[in-house]
Amino acid sequence: MLKIIIPTIMLIPLTWMSKPNMIWINTTTYGLLISLISLSYLNQPNDNTLNSSLMFFSDSLSAPLLALTTWLLPLMLMASQHHLSKEPLTRKKLYISMLILLQLFLIMTFTASELIFFYILFEATLIPTLIIITRWGNQTERLNAGLYFLFYTLMGSLPLLVALLYIHNFMGSLNFLMIQYWIQPLPNSWSNIFLWLACMMAFMVKMPLYGLHLWLPKAHVEAPIAGSMVLAAVLLKLGGYGMMRITTLLNPLTNFMAYPFMMLSLWGMIMTSSICLRQTDLKSLIAYSSVSHMALVIVAVLIQTPWSYMGATALMIAHGLTSSMLFCLANSNYERIHSRTMILARGLQTLLPLMAAWWLLASLTNLALPPTINLIGELFVVMSSFSWSNITIILMGINIIITALYSLYMLITTQRGKYSHHIKNIKPSFTRENALMTLHLLPLLLLSLNPKIILGPIY
Amino acid sequence: MAAGLLGLGARRLLAVAATRGLPVAHVRWESSSSRAVIAPSAVAGKRTPEPTVRWQEDPDPEDENLYEKNPDSHGYDKDPVVDLWNMRVVFFFGFSIVLVFGSTFVAYLPDYRCMGCPREWNGMQEWARREAERLVKYREANGLPIMESNCFDPSKIQLPEDED
Repeated sequence: MLKIIIPTIMLIPLTWMSKPNMIWINTTTYGLLISLISLSYLNQPNDNTLNSSLMFFSDSLSAPLLALTTWLLPLMLMASQHHLSKEPLTRKKLYISMLILLQLFLIMTFTASELIFFYILFEATLIPTLIIITRWGNQTERLNAGLYFLFYTLMGSLPLLVALLYIHNFMGSLNFLMIQYWIQPLPNSWSNIFLWLACMMAFMVKMPLYGLHLWLPKAHVEAPIAGSMVLAAVLLKLGGYGMMRITTLLNPLTNFMAYPFMMLSLWGMIMTSSICLRQTDLKSLIAYSSVSHMALVIVAVLIQTPWSYMGATALMIAHGLTSSMLFCLANSNYERIHSRTMILARGLQTLLPLMAAWWLLASLTNLALPPTINLIGELFVVMSSFSWSNITIILMGINIIITALYSLYMLITTQRGKYSHHIKNIKPSFTRENALMTLHLLPLLLLSLNPKIILGPIY
Repeated sequence: MAAGLLGLGARRLLAVAATRGLPVAHVRWESSSSRAVIAPSAVAGKRTPEPTVRWQEDPDPEDENLYEKNPDSHGYDKDPVVDLWNMRVVFFFGFSIVLVFGSTFVAYLPDYRCMGCPREWNGMQEWARREAERLVKYREANGLPIMESNCFDPSKIQLPEDED
């Protein structure tokens, strides 16, 4: 694990000591090389975990998420290069340092083996994200957005701290690899119900669950592009990852306690998909679509069957890449017309046909077109939820239809039709933007050739 | 007749007068029978110009157009040399190194899933299939039976001595 952590830490002196015209080149290069190293963790030789040290381990669930995190840093740097070009040098370096710090905390979170260590880093990821949103966001609402983001997550995770300390006291250790073998079934009592709630609420807020999702559209919309990318692609998956880890400790109470959250998720995915159909703001549409996809992951994790866990893991990776790509596409629009309103820049297919190709592919992966991994994830979740209860197929089916509806709505509004008359003089697509889209899309398509690495530990 | 005041023809004339202004004289004409003089008006045909308003949809004048100074811009930087090197670095390290070597590495990952206990965890299925095909091909080529009916090699089984 040090072979990833030390290079990531050293990226910070690299940004501060590089020559001013080389900061982006250096950081992007070394970021890409770090992502190459992290791919080595995908070699999971058996059902057990790869234990790097006393503090870090990686298994088939955390290795793909680790690869996603390290892959995203160079992409975030490429996406931010344009909107930071007019900032003073120190501010650019600060921004890059925030991104690198966030990446560092995320790497350590996904590979932490001790649960308190995981918790500390889980909270630590909030700070760079808050700084990125509130300092470099574009509208005045960013302060409100940062507040919502910080306090929703903190409110959810404070009970988690108390619960983890209690479990440590009770079991003697919180090393995840050991307590798997010590767990006893949790009997159904009031204090255990509160323990279950305390453990899960942090991750429910992070995912986010439908009733606690208010921070997400604000934070995603107000954040600059790198902030949106990392929020959508990785920070949401922290919630899913945490839930999948902590539910091993909470059986069999989950069978009983999961019902309200299942209802909220099943209903919420339809509601947020429907809200997407009514959005005028492009980034807000993508943010609500993230809520909808993550609701599927919540359903999958709460059902706790082998297929649902495979679907949840696949869906997390797939959604990370897709959502990040959609935010990059929205940003390419924003950089040209300085507005997030969808109808202001329509008919782009005639003006920027290559970008329209990326829009098409991103929308197709968002609506879970076969044979992409988005489909694999969604299908596994739908099938396992059907076996959990037959009626969920209706709700899942409606959600899939509405997902297709809003993805196509977004595609058609921005790309098809006659272009609005004032965007005739937008600048053509840069190589940077096309490279960014390809770097999002190619891993997604390559994974559809070999999905077994993202199907998680149950495969 | 009064209704014809705003008849079709009059309406058209009113519309034309509104858009194009009243008809103007192009030459100076002085009447011989009266003191009327028709002359081209100094302000004829001129309407007050619309005030220049900046609309939100117009390109932002503070936006720098990277294509202006460097028509081959790749979008990374104003300086063409840095821009070019940034593009090369991204493509080389991003595509040629990470995507290519990474996909090769991932494609050749061993068939895991508990290589130690294949029967329980369905591990090594692809290996088992390849090995079976290889053995069948070898045995058919050499005329050996595809499978022997003995599970174990009979010569290696050591039976205890018969005791009467």
